[in-house]
Amino acid sequence: MACQAVPCLHLGSEPGELQATEAEHVHLTAAPPGWPLRSPHLLDSGYIIMNDALTSDVIGRRVEVNGEHATVRFFGDVPPVAGFWLGVEWDNPERGKHDGSHEGTVYFKCRHPTGGSFIRPNKVNFGVDFLTALKNRYVLEDGPEEDGKEQIVTIGNRTVQTVGFDSVIKRQSQLNKLEDISLRNCAVNGAGDKGGIATACPHIRKVDLSRNLLSSWDDVIDIADQLKDLEVLNLSENKLEFPSCSTSLIGTFSALKVLVLNRTGITWAEVLRCAPGWPVLEELYLGSNNICISERPVDVLQTVKLLDLSSNQLIDENQLFLIAYLPRLEQLILSNIGISSIHFPDAGIGCKTSLFPSLQYLVVNDNQISQWSFINELDKLQSLDTLSCVRNPLTAGSKDSQTTRQFIIARIGQLKTLDRCQILPEERRGAELDYRKAFGNEWKKAGGHQNPDKNRPNEEFLAAHPRYQFLCQKYGAPEDGELKTQQPFILKNQLLTLKIRYPDQLDQKVLEKQLPDSMTIQKVKGLLSRLLKVPVSQLLLSYESPKMPGREIELENDQQSLQFYSVENGDSLLVRW
Amino acid sequence: MILFGVNLLRSTFPLISYVPLTRECLSIHIGQAGIQIGDACWELYCLEHGIQPDGGVLDSKKDQLDDANVEHMDASFDTFFCETRAGKYVPRALFVDLEPTVVDGIRTGKYRSLFHPEQLVSGKEDAANNYARGHYSVGSEIIDLVLERIRKLAKQCSGLQGFLIFRSFGGGTGSGFTSLLMEQLSIEYSRKTKLEFSVYPAPRISTAVVEPYNSILTTHSTIEHSDCSFMVDNEAIFDICHRKLGVERPSYASINRLIGQAVSSITASLRFKGPLNVDLIEFQTNLVPYPRIHFPMTTFAPIISADKAYHEELSVSDITAACFEFSNQLVKCDPRLGKYMACCLLYRGDVVPKDVNAAIAAMKSRNSVRFVDWCPTGFKVGINNQPPVAMPGGDLAKVQRAVCMLSNTTAIVEAWARLDHKFDLMYAKRAFLHWYIREGMEEGEFSEAREDLAALEKDYEEVGQSF
Repeated sequence: MACQAVPCLHLGSEPGELQATEAEHVHLTAAPPGWPLRSPHLLDSGYIIMNDALTSDVIGRRVEVNGEHATVRFFGDVPPVAGFWLGVEWDNPERGKHDGSHEGTVYFKCRHPTGGSFIRPNKVNFGVDFLTALKNRYVLEDGPEEDGKEQIVTIGNRTVQTVGFDSVIKRQSQLNKLEDISLRNCAVNGAGDKGGIATACPHIRKVDLSRNLLSSWDDVIDIADQLKDLEVLNLSENKLEFPSCSTSLIGTFSALKVLVLNRTGITWAEVLRCAPGWPVLEELYLGSNNICISERPVDVLQTVKLLDLSSNQLIDENQLFLIAYLPRLEQLILSNIGISSIHFPDAGIGCKTSLFPSLQYLVVNDNQISQWSFINELDKLQSLDTLSCVRNPLTAGSKDSQTTRQFIIARIGQLKTLDRCQILPEERRGAELDYRKAFGNEWKKAGGHQNPDKNRPNEEFLAAHPRYQFLCQKYGAPEDGELKTQQPFILKNQLLTLKIRYPDQLDQKVLEKQLPDSMTIQKVKGLLSRLLKVPVSQLLLSYESPKMPGREIELENDQQSLQFYSVENGDSLLVRW
Repeated sequence: MILFGVNLLRSTFPLISYVPLTRECLSIHIGQAGIQIGDACWELYCLEHGIQPDGGVLDSKKDQLDDANVEHMDASFDTFFCETRAGKYVPRALFVDLEPTVVDGIRTGKYRSLFHPEQLVSGKEDAANNYARGHYSVGSEIIDLVLERIRKLAKQCSGLQGFLIFRSFGGGTGSGFTSLLMEQLSIEYSRKTKLEFSVYPAPRISTAVVEPYNSILTTHSTIEHSDCSFMVDNEAIFDICHRKLGVERPSYASINRLIGQAVSSITASLRFKGPLNVDLIEFQTNLVPYPRIHFPMTTFAPIISADKAYHEELSVSDITAACFEFSNQLVKCDPRLGKYMACCLLYRGDVVPKDVNAAIAAMKSRNSVRFVDWCPTGFKVGINNQPPVAMPGGDLAKVQRAVCMLSNTTAIVEAWARLDHKFDLMYAKRAFLHWYIREGMEEGEFSEAREDLAALEKDYEEVGQSF
């Protein structure tokens, strides 16, 4: 029966061709029920035999078409075009043409309006089982004679010499010795025959199964069940269907330490449902999944040390608190999740929070952090010592990245490494001193004072600079002299505004003059003599300062400058003759 | 007949042909750069071989080792480590500096108990970035002690294969003392291979203005003694750290760890011995067509930031293609301007020969890979099963496979031309020359060295010419 079925499909192989007749259709549907659809050999050759009894099996399976991955959503006739069609939803929505409907009839539904296509079954690669893929990659099926021929690769007119390839092939061909394997992009669709993996390659510890055709978590379990030593499992880029109810699996992932589920479409609820099966998991990667942390992990994920949630744009500040009680969590990667603020409500200014008790290493690259309050809050984390915070508005936008770095160091007291650069004690000291100085004026304005008894900065300042008071204790409060903003050295800034008064001639109007502090007394006298029409020799100059009331200082040496006598802005020049 | 007899023997008593002949390598780390790179390298070697900071072996690796002894598989690290009677492993390495601070860093560092105190040699007076001090006045005081220590280390070897020398071109000890030592090694161990890992001076992270002088002088005096010199350019690595790893201001530690990864890839074939692996010496034969043209360029891939672990999966063809990218080179020069004389690709980790063939075939389409006309060989490719190890807490992500490309290309002349130009600028005015004269050097040595380098540039030009 199967033999008859094959040519029928062959006829209808071209999409859009109307070749399959009604009679052939009958042949097709009459294929024996229970025909092993998963047999890789027939699937490999590009033919597939349809059977109504198998409909439910086909739907939901992952397929590959010319390098693009898709999920089967429909199987059957699409009138008026004869023959069998698979309705697929592409991972890349731009690959398709419609949303699963044809001439008004809805055959299946797609998430994206152009995510669907109808495709002839023989164009589709349903993949191979784990062992076949493994053999395809690591074992040469053809004899050694053939492989010798294959090895001669040339570039231009030069041959490429390979050294020791034979022995590498020999070694790799011993599947039972393999420990670390990679089956990325090998169209793996399942475990294959039961127990087959366990007998062929029982010692595997690390498996990369990214970008394959695994369609459900059960397939993964089937594979992992047979690999008792499995420590690292990478399942990225498989659109997996996860179980809808909690599964109690004992022993499947008993040794699994690293699980990578980037781009698998997993949800947080599904993570928690599967998590009881991961008793010793240490690293969990959940990047690019549109995850929304919906509930607190209770009794699961307690062993996790590293959690990667990068590129999950739906995560916000409040969701993070749900994972804040994981007792062992040391590394948290939150790159590119669009976070802009965080606040630990349980700890006041200068106190440590009980959240994230073990968190040492935080990565918040590529986010929307623009407020210093974010950095201030990080100081509350008990064990944080490494932070990566690049490409954020706060750090990237400012022109002076060095100052930003200094302020981050000063604001987080226990930080030892920032942006992958170690912070040495001298750098920390410099950063803290600079920070103390840079915000000294603000501190004074807010009520800060050098005298500890009067030092009461307002709440607002303390909230904005929680470590400031501590730094004042550590290094002493900033002196007034330090806080003066340095004016650029130009003549305009060097001018003294002086009042010129005449104690003996009270009828004369008081004048105000701007003089450079480097002007000699002789020059000042010359100026005054022209002003007052009094000969230079008769003029006697002195000055008094509002800082020293009642004291008059004589300016007797003509050769000295105003600076020499410490004449300052706002002083009065007393002129007598 | 005799040959036949051997074959017969071999097939009858397979064990006889497997009598392990250890081919040890001694690593000599000279000057600040050499020692700090050495620190990074031995840290990585220890991780790769499962050796703990005190020289003990992790139990899990011990099983492997026993296994290896039985089956003569890989994981034989006798070439780089020496087993003491107490069962500990001591690196076959010597650290030499003319002043104590950097060596003291090792003496007090994490791996202080890994080394025997006799392996750490330091003088009292530094070379002050002066080739003349390293080579003549200060260096000559310590050379006998160093040779004595090398003899001791060499005595522990059953079949010393050669020396790996780590140093910088720019420093006083790295340039001056190395050339002195190389001369002596050539006399004493004339048949042994001497490979160099040299740090090419980079203006951006340079410490001394006289680096061009030192570099040219040391190149001139070691070019005859060294069999192959792998150059790494601090500036190129600085850029890699900055651009690819996102380290804003890479420290020497970051730079040295990256160099360590490259060195580990190059030496992997020496450390993981066995029938399955390729020998560096064998590659070196290919790499050096003329004794003086022995400065291969090193390229390393993949370089992925640790934060991006498991986000970027790199296949064999990806990392092979990356090897021909400017951004992965450890020396700044444009290979499109030159021609390749030889090219070795050292893969490690989970690499399948089939994939390598496919990846290299894909490189065919690239027009940028041009070879000289006269050289019959093209690419030489080897695979090592040992996956690369990432330093915990380091900048690099853990990856399943990596590749290190060693290519002898005429483009590297660019690096020499750059250095020569800087030399000329200073030498035209005889600037800073008195520091060298004061230590007993003559001006003639400068002009002689510069002429030699001009000849080297000329050599590169000639080998690149078509008939």
